[in-house]
Amino acid sequence: MLAVGLAMAVALPLAACGSGEDNAESGPVELTVAVWNLATTPEFQTLFDAFHKANPDITIKPVDILAADYPTKVTTMLAGGDTTDVITMKTLADYVRFAGRGQLKDITSLATSTEGSKLAGLDQYKQDGDKYYALPYRQDHWVLYYNKKMFDAAGQAYPTSLTWDQYVEVAKKLTSGTGDKKVYGAYQHTWRSIVQAISAAQTGGDQLAGDYKFFADQYKTALALQEAGATLDFGTAVTQKTGYASMFETGKTAMLPMGTWYISKILSEKQKGTTDADWAIAPMPQRPGASGVTTFGAPTAFAVNKKAKHADAAQKFVEFAASLEGAKAITGIGIVPAYKSDEILKQYFALPGMPTDELSKKAFSPDKVNPEMPVSDKTAKIDTILNEEHQLIMTKQKSLDDAIKEMESRVKNEVN
Amino acid sequence: MADLLTATPATASAAPSPRARDRRRARRNTLIGWSFILPNFLGFAVLTLVPVIAAFALSFMEWDSYNPPEWVGLDNFQRLLNDESTKIALRNTAFYALGHVPLTMLAALGLALLLNRKIAGVGFFRAAAFFPYITSMVAVAVVWNMLFHPQFGPVNQFLQFVGVDSPPGWTTSTTWAMPAIILTSVWRDMGYYMVLFLAGLQAIPVEQYEAAKVDGAGTWQRFRAVTLPGLRPVTFLVLILLTVQSFKVFDLVVVMTDGGPGRATLVLSQQIYRRGIIEGEFGYASAISLVLFLLVLVFTLVQFWFNNRRERR
Repeated sequence: MLAVGLAMAVALPLAACGSGEDNAESGPVELTVAVWNLATTPEFQTLFDAFHKANPDITIKPVDILAADYPTKVTTMLAGGDTTDVITMKTLADYVRFAGRGQLKDITSLATSTEGSKLAGLDQYKQDGDKYYALPYRQDHWVLYYNKKMFDAAGQAYPTSLTWDQYVEVAKKLTSGTGDKKVYGAYQHTWRSIVQAISAAQTGGDQLAGDYKFFADQYKTALALQEAGATLDFGTAVTQKTGYASMFETGKTAMLPMGTWYISKILSEKQKGTTDADWAIAPMPQRPGASGVTTFGAPTAFAVNKKAKHADAAQKFVEFAASLEGAKAITGIGIVPAYKSDEILKQYFALPGMPTDELSKKAFSPDKVNPEMPVSDKTAKIDTILNEEHQLIMTKQKSLDDAIKEMESRVKNEVN
Repeated sequence: MADLLTATPATASAAPSPRARDRRRARRNTLIGWSFILPNFLGFAVLTLVPVIAAFALSFMEWDSYNPPEWVGLDNFQRLLNDESTKIALRNTAFYALGHVPLTMLAALGLALLLNRKIAGVGFFRAAAFFPYITSMVAVAVVWNMLFHPQFGPVNQFLQFVGVDSPPGWTTSTTWAMPAIILTSVWRDMGYYMVLFLAGLQAIPVEQYEAAKVDGAGTWQRFRAVTLPGLRPVTFLVLILLTVQSFKVFDLVVVMTDGGPGRATLVLSQQIYRRGIIEGEFGYASAISLVLFLLVLVFTLVQFWFNNRRERR
């Protein structure tokens, strides 16, 4: 009895506050948008400026949150009945959680419009069969960054269409030096996606299904690379908290599989003169006999808070960010928009400092981009399990076969 | 009331019975006492007591932090019994406490004994020993992570220098990750508890040592018969503080290993954080917190009980 009363006491104020929603608005509006690391994530300000220019009566007030705390902070805000109008969906997993709790406004009509069909990654936001609670404004996919100068120096051909085995061989040939002077052929960052998501994307395996034998080949590649000393070993990368950007920008590695979000960063670093890496991008290595280029990617989206103070203006902003106009604005600073069109492609490759060779263009438009991780209410738990076993494989604390068996039995027993 | 005062001026001037006056004074003193602790208690009640009780209640519910909580009875606890990760976290936390508590106590006591004498520059050495404690935990964790690097870290280079052929992999090894964390935490905490022990040592009367010396007690006997009993209140305090602190360990683990490799260093508070804040299962996370709370409570009570028994002897 006491417990129920207390729970009510906790729940009541949450339910009571901030259910107001004024629809008919006129005059100037101050729209609040939750974003992360505003100072180092220029896309937000760029979008805000472009939106304000198109809608002079709406000014935008960003709610800046530390990137690492973003999901937890937003969870707390929404639970407390916060009325911030637009919430940026940093990951799909966050989106599913917020949408599942009924914290986001239904914007299906925007998603099913004619413009909506041009948005890459949109279908990943489909909920309950046919509902959408967010619109993606950017869609990143993974490519292989490489340092042309290092390839030239080693007399190697550029990685036009590698298989994973060839990737390991090339990496070995590009590795040189010892100790502090050691230069690696490739740098595989510590995230599990670099092994698991790419193998799911290229073999058609399902990371939620509980059968993980399809990971095996990709792990053999990753372990072979590590065994040969052609990449910084996993343990070192974790303990030293190695940054992939510094590995590539200081010429410590010749190849770097990474998402397209890195393009805008390296463009601006080159402009500032902090790196002289002579870079270009190539398609991700493929499995032998694969037809076309298959990689994985993840979208980023804006959603309207169900308790938004200015729901109409918020919806307008979400629509703008996903439109051609919004896409042009962020393309201007090297961000890959979700909106796909030839116009955007042309604008992107005309950016100063952007490599314009055919291979880079091919890498930028892969034949198939599969989701990094399928989303459901089980995603967060399975993600934790797969990540833990990933660490055990890469630090050689468990054999590959045992770890895959462990993944399968843990997902079966711990996720229901 | 007003009537009473104006209508009976004669009786009002008569002194009330001494007992009633005492009682009134006692009540006034109590009220004044309460008013002194009220500001602190209000803060405690609003920011700690209510949330703690709410968390206890939540452990019998399912709550996603947004929709109204749902009563599920003992489901969360049943789930806890079958949750492999929570069991591993419990085991790891116990392992950490078993290493961290005695080692920190020994190191702190040793340091205190060393620095409780009149030597040149004792102030400097005391400050040096205390320094790790005021260093940011994140900085400590990051730096020790580098020191423990399997190939290039100074720790293993030293071990190889003194003839250890295959030194441990520390934070990259499931066996050695927890010892690495324990060592780091001992290094960080010993200075603080050293200060407590130093205060305790200085409270022991010199006469007792002199008397023991006169009776012919050697250094070891003086330590056992005078120092240790004299330090008992401080030792007890340190023991309680360390135990509670060990069960709550979070920041060091998160920065150093984030529970890895695999689940080798996953601790209870981290498990609570993951289930609650990350996965949004606040009911289940509260159930784990309740278990953690009971654990700490039982340990503390047992220690109190032991201490009382020994004090009476």
